[in-house]
Amino acid sequence: MNPRCPSDLALERHLRDPDRSPLGAHLEVCPACRQRVARMEAEGEEFRRLVYPATVGAIEEAAERAAARRPWRLSLWLAPVAAAAAVAILWGPPSDYVGQKGFPFTAWVAGPAGARAVPDGGEVPAAGALRFRVQPPVPCRLWVVSVDAGGQVSRLFPAQGDGGAEMRDGGALPGGAVLDGRPGPERLFAVCAPGALPFTRLERSVRETAGGGAVAVRSGKVLRGLPRGAVQATLLLEKRP
Amino acid sequence: MSDPRDEAARLYREHGAAVYRRCLRLLRDREAARDATQEVFVKLVRDMKRLKDRETALPWIYRVATNHCLNLRRDAARRGEDALEPALEVSPGAPPDGHPDRYPDRQLAQQVLSRFDGTTQAIAVGVFVDGMEREEVAEALGISRRTVTRKLERFLGNARKFLARSEP
Repeated sequence: MNPRCPSDLALERHLRDPDRSPLGAHLEVCPACRQRVARMEAEGEEFRRLVYPATVGAIEEAAERAAARRPWRLSLWLAPVAAAAAVAILWGPPSDYVGQKGFPFTAWVAGPAGARAVPDGGEVPAAGALRFRVQPPVPCRLWVVSVDAGGQVSRLFPAQGDGGAEMRDGGALPGGAVLDGRPGPERLFAVCAPGALPFTRLERSVRETAGGGAVAVRSGKVLRGLPRGAVQATLLLEKRP
Repeated sequence: MSDPRDEAARLYREHGAAVYRRCLRLLRDREAARDATQEVFVKLVRDMKRLKDRETALPWIYRVATNHCLNLRRDAARRGEDALEPALEVSPGAPPDGHPDRYPDRQLAQQVLSRFDGTTQAIAVGVFVDGMEREEVAEALGISRRTVTRKLERFLGNARKFLARSEP
């Protein structure tokens, strides 16, 4: 056995596949390296909890830009075909447009005199507790998310899992949400998709639509880039101290 | 064909923690590491094919992150900023006492590092901060073992002289 402790890179490899890692024997007898692994795991958790949500949007944009540049360079021979297609697209609706037929979506905020329904653009206490009721037009996978003026996208329903909650009938949703206490606008979106909709995709769409500050939150009402067949509803809240 | 945005988000979930850890190790500042992680991954997603190759992605990620963070440290040193200049701790995996590659101090000071070119800095950090063997450094940085040896010897000789001169 190498008497020296493994490098950081070797420990990174170990973290990827501990079961097949050759470092198991060393870690068993080396408390210092076990401590290093524990610290690396904690930092990984920190990344998932704090860094990833705050930075994934920029990564996705960079990937999209890179993908858009690549075929352009490689496909010069396709230029005449592409030009014809571009004309067709210019006259049609945007390719990522999903019609906003909408469906009943209501938020209630708890108050001293009992719960009250919040109208679109209505004021709510900045740290208010909310409940939701939806009436999707068809059975679907439902998400309720929100975005605030800081661009923070929050998942409100379902609290766990990916893909959205299966909804057969409408009604009051289990659980609820407590607002973060920061005054300013917060927009809620309820999205009813025909199939599983990954949260990352929805988050991206929300951030692009309404994630650019208070003005964007107030004006960004229609999510783009949703799967075909998805329907959506939205509600603006004005959080007051 | 998969959506490049979804694919990038998936790869970021898979590899982002390694980049963050690397940046945290070299910058020793959470805010700076967070920003650097994003900047490094923006570079990485320009070559998604390479990023998807599980066998070779990690050394490449490590190399890009290392070079990026060392550049940040160099730039900060040039601007006279203290925030990104803390000394780097020598790893428990670094060469032990009596080893010819033993670095003469427990900490790798910015003043020592900044006297060398980028490749030498990356080699020194690989050996002393990350505790890598020469072969491992060569693989991670995509250079020959001979280059690693040559640059490391030059680094050690000059660093020892510099540290001896700076002793009170």
